[in-house]
Amino acid sequence: MNKVNSEELLSKKIEELPLEISPNRDLWQGVERAIQNKPQVNATHEQSKKVFPMAWAASIVAAVLLTWNVFAPQTTDSPVALVTHMQQSFEAQKQAMLISYGQPNLTELPESLQKQLEELASARKAIETALKDDPTNSDLLNLFRWTQEQELELLTKLYSPQWQTI
Amino acid sequence: MKSSHVIEAESRFVPDQELVWINSAQEGNQDAFHQLYLKYHKRMYALCWRMLADKSSAEDVCQEVFVQLWQNIGNFKGTSKFSTWLHSVATNVVLTHLRKQKNWLQRIFSIEEHETTEASVEMEALSELDKHIMKLPERARLVFVLFAVEGYRHEEIGQMLGMAVGSSKSQYHRARELLKEWVSDE
Repeated sequence: MNKVNSEELLSKKIEELPLEISPNRDLWQGVERAIQNKPQVNATHEQSKKVFPMAWAASIVAAVLLTWNVFAPQTTDSPVALVTHMQQSFEAQKQAMLISYGQPNLTELPESLQKQLEELASARKAIETALKDDPTNSDLLNLFRWTQEQELELLTKLYSPQWQTI
Repeated sequence: MKSSHVIEAESRFVPDQELVWINSAQEGNQDAFHQLYLKYHKRMYALCWRMLADKSSAEDVCQEVFVQLWQNIGNFKGTSKFSTWLHSVATNVVLTHLRKQKNWLQRIFSIEEHETTEASVEMEALSELDKHIMKLPERARLVFVLFAVEGYRHEEIGQMLGMAVGSSKSQYHRARELLKEWVSDE
């Protein structure tokens, strides 16, 4: 048979293919048994399933935006505003950290640790006061940031969950 | 409650009686669902058998198609023909079944699958062309059935089977060449 004929023959046979084939056994019985205990997916349920991850994602985006607004460096018109912003950011970060650690009572810490925290806080306040007089002093700004970081680092060491080493 | 758009779309595409069955089945009516089964199960069985080339698996998977249909019929909105939507459900069920069946060697090394050989007794119910389709290598068979019988485009087939459009076309060409040869030898 030549190529054209075989092509035509195949096309004809494809057109003649039966759309239906009967199974030899009754398949409905099995289907009926199976659907007895199968709940149907309600379109409205499906919609709420779609809404939930979206709400979840939206809340994450909102949290990120909020965090960004609180912690991200912002351009400020005056150097004094920059210091105020740094302090506000630090307080917010510290509060968030303490909340994540279950709001521990800092007064229950050993005296030596309490003293360290007090010294850091005292140093920070002194630097903050100095910055009000000299808000463009970059050394003071760096020192101010350093005291904040030290305090947060100390809190992390004290309260963050420790991974167990096997 | 359905919106007027959905109802309008459904009335445009679905015959009245079928629409009644669909709506009832969506509300949990098993008798109505049985009517849909009676109308479509032979077509679904044909699709399953052609794609799987195995009668026993085709029966099981055909049942699974209707179980899935029962569970998901609420998602049918009437924006397409019910039969079109049902065929896409069935195709997905078959392909999921095939993916589960693949052994790890085939997954890792993409070894060319063996030709399927059905018992001759089982093949008696089939047309001559169907008997040849069953002998095609799996990928060529799937592409051929989806393209030539089910009417999917190569782009759609490529997505369904995880292959490039070009591969789908070449598998189809391969299937046609083999079938032409076998049909000519009849």
